[in-house]
Amino acid sequence: MLNIYLGEMKEAIYHPPTYFDNRYEDEWITDPLSVKMIKDVDKSDVVSERLIQSPVLGPISVKEISGGVKTLILMAFDDSGRIFNASACGNNCAKWILEIGKQKELIVNLRHIMDFGDNEFEIKILNKDQIVHNMEEFIDIAVEYV
Amino acid sequence: MKGKYKVIVRNNKLHYEFEIKRNITIIQGDSATGKTTLINMLRQAENLGESSGVDVLSNVPCRILEGVSWKLILQNTAGTIFFIDEENAFINTEEFASEVRGSDNYFVLITRENLYNLPYSVEEIYGLYASGRYQNTKKIYQQMYRIYSDIQEFPIKPELFIVEDSNSGYEFFKAISDEKNLECESAGGKSNIFSKIKNVKNREVCVIADGAAIGPEMNGLYEISHKKKNIHLYLPESFEWIVLKSGLIDDREIRKILETPELFIDSKKYFSWERFFTNLLIEKTKNSYLQYRKSAINKTYLHSKNKEKILNCIEAIQW
Repeated sequence: MLNIYLGEMKEAIYHPPTYFDNRYEDEWITDPLSVKMIKDVDKSDVVSERLIQSPVLGPISVKEISGGVKTLILMAFDDSGRIFNASACGNNCAKWILEIGKQKELIVNLRHIMDFGDNEFEIKILNKDQIVHNMEEFIDIAVEYV
Repeated sequence: MKGKYKVIVRNNKLHYEFEIKRNITIIQGDSATGKTTLINMLRQAENLGESSGVDVLSNVPCRILEGVSWKLILQNTAGTIFFIDEENAFINTEEFASEVRGSDNYFVLITRENLYNLPYSVEEIYGLYASGRYQNTKKIYQQMYRIYSDIQEFPIKPELFIVEDSNSGYEFFKAISDEKNLECESAGGKSNIFSKIKNVKNREVCVIADGAAIGPEMNGLYEISHKKKNIHLYLPESFEWIVLKSGLIDDREIRKILETPELFIDSKKYFSWERFFTNLLIEKTKNSYLQYRKSAINKTYLHSKNKEKILNCIEAIQW
């Protein structure tokens, strides 16, 4: 389930892209989930664990993928127990955060109101220990904290 | 610092082009739109100059502000556009806000966080998008777009007004609402708008707030007005700007200023534009029958002819 802590959270990794650059594992990049996320968000293809083909920049290293995708990959694969700041992700990452939350117990920190779309979802807001099911319910709580 | 500055940042693959015209500009939006790449190119150009292979074309220096010495750098620099990436947590601090206040520099901040310490405009919150190839070259042309440009469909016919202001602006709209049997409430500050909105149920509501400084609230206001179709946002620069724009005070200088406020509003003196418009209105009406006070509306503004002039200027609302 996706669990969100809204607002400032001192123990969270504030800038996940920097953490990613120093801690990612090669095998994370070629995992089918990463390949799909990199294709969807960055419009780029994973050629190998150390090479990405970007439509704009041409062949790039893993360190040059977007900060949003780096954060998604950390959410999916990092098992250090760290909590990542999901505000490094744009709205085009929201569906993937929901997806990762379906696959594991995921806790993220969020410092802005992300648009999770028009469909129903289940997100636990840790600040209130309350589950929200759609954007209206989410916004009602989020405006108190971010 | 005042004025509008065109900035071009380019290499052989990317061509960024945009204009900066207020002390605070925010860039946010989707991931993978080139925000960090822009910062990296600016950093390379700053550190290595021409040998970086990056061209930065601007009438003023464009620099990156980051690291532990940000405050020292800022205190010793003027006439510069500073770009700050989201990894710099200091942008959300009161310490940073107090350095921006009175600074003779412009700031472009890359962040999705709502920076409540800074009064930035709804007009200056942008995203980046690739608009195609640049002049038939292989370069991708990156431009900025206003994130909140499609806020509402106007005109709107509200039953209830929620006015950010509690002073003269509120009193003006309250008087008009009473006359037209509409409701009008003051939120008593922009941070209280949400608690007011929560209680409106299905009534058609128009929130009137100062666009010049509402930026930090826009993330929530925009999302809520999109989900609840009865919530409408009317965000002029400020009430004083409406009065100035209405032509109630016939003054050539006012008209000239309103055409290009950025040429007249000094970031060193004015943290945000609405403070400038307030001062301008006070100054232009001093010792006249239209003398303006922020704390309470001068009843002359509610005289039929004057009132109509101001209302005619508010095309977004059907009275």
